[in-house]
Amino acid sequence: MTGVELTAADWALACLLGAAIGLDEVSWPQAMWSRPLVAGTLGGTLFGAPAAGCLAGVWLELVLSRHPPFGGARHPETGPASFTAGAAYAVAGGGAPVGVVAAVAVGWAAGWTGAYSVTLLRRVTPRLVSRPDGFRGGAAALARRHRLALALDGLRAGLLVAALLVPSVLFVRLVSTQPTGAPGPAWWPVAAGLGLAGAAGVAARGLGARARHWPALTAGGVLGTLLVRWLS
Amino acid sequence: MRPRRRDFARAILRSFSIQGSWNERTMTGPGLAHALAPLLARIHTDDPAAFRQAVRRHSRAFNAHPYLAPVAIGTLARLEFDGDDPDTVSRFRSALRAPLGALGDGIAWAGWRPFCASAAAIGFVLGLDAPYAAGAFLILYNAGHLALRIWGLRCGWRSGRSVAAALKRAPLRRLERALVPANQVLIGALAALLIGQLPATGPAPWREGGAVIVALMGYLVPRHISAVAMASLLAACAVWLP
Repeated sequence: MTGVELTAADWALACLLGAAIGLDEVSWPQAMWSRPLVAGTLGGTLFGAPAAGCLAGVWLELVLSRHPPFGGARHPETGPASFTAGAAYAVAGGGAPVGVVAAVAVGWAAGWTGAYSVTLLRRVTPRLVSRPDGFRGGAAALARRHRLALALDGLRAGLLVAALLVPSVLFVRLVSTQPTGAPGPAWWPVAAGLGLAGAAGVAARGLGARARHWPALTAGGVLGTLLVRWLS
Repeated sequence: MRPRRRDFARAILRSFSIQGSWNERTMTGPGLAHALAPLLARIHTDDPAAFRQAVRRHSRAFNAHPYLAPVAIGTLARLEFDGDDPDTVSRFRSALRAPLGALGDGIAWAGWRPFCASAAAIGFVLGLDAPYAAGAFLILYNAGHLALRIWGLRCGWRSGRSVAAALKRAPLRRLERALVPANQVLIGALAALLIGQLPATGPAPWREGGAVIVALMGYLVPRHISAVAMASLLAACAVWLP
């Protein structure tokens, strides 16, 4: 077994951090510590491996960026998902390359679970503050209800991390700790690379690119490849 | 009474939670009223009933990008201060929704955020320590974020009824257009760098072919490729690790 042990204290701290990260995504203050890059790093830092968490976060930046939150579009909740994925990869030891792929799969699933929990919460919120002809209770009552809605969102995010952290850790650890000599298809890096490239292509188009911008994406790919060659 | 500097400060601080009570019926309406309340309280100091009515009016359905909501806060406070009648304020409020939403989505969600995130992610992949990469992202991103909120409130308050012209004069659209190709380059480079980190086993020389793959997939992947398919692919890769 690789990695570190997940104690009850770690789990409780993770739930608190998860609440703060989930709150940032939509409710307050949208300073983007809920972005995968930051949330993943925080998840990794909690278990002593910030680089592992950050790597999971960087992958998730590409994979989850294909759903920008334009208008009222449904999109995966990136913060608690990336935090959970980063923490899971860090607890699993953060070494095996396939572990990050498992963490990304966990992050993707947690992202959509988070989106569903947000939908459920928004069935409750209208009862607190919403009247078609305007809130009648005055500014002080509105402020109290508004703060209650904020607290509920934080609670939702904390509970989400509480529910998903242990199963995520177990899954990523299980995948990461298979014996290195075990038989398996050699094409997994190919499939992972295609998945990454596909995610990048879709994310690039989702961010307002038009046909005339594809040379810029290609130039970026060439630049990245040159950097890889230069570094290796 | 004219709002004081600290009223504007409270309004902008409250604007950070404008989506805190977002719901599908009135969207950010209650959040807008909550953020406007310090300014409305000062403007209607002598008339508590008018203050209460104004809070009620502004808690009706409203939506805008959260970073540009301060434009609406400043504009609506100005109209209230200038004594415009409630119908005019309501019409203005409705007219602000779509432009502020579209402009904010383009400049913040599709422009500045992926730019900062991709740049920081590339820094990490190239060897920057994880906490520094995350910290650099937060500092760079929030410099723009805070500037946009503060500028928005000032723009709205100073422009009042002529806020549309002020938004048109602002260089936001130009910045948005400039960020699109920059983001393409950064996303392409990031994808190629991550592909280059994958084990160099299998039928393709991954360290050499990242750019080709990124370009190919950019052209070939259908716009609405199933997210489930993408995740299944990643999960399959994870499970079949040698």
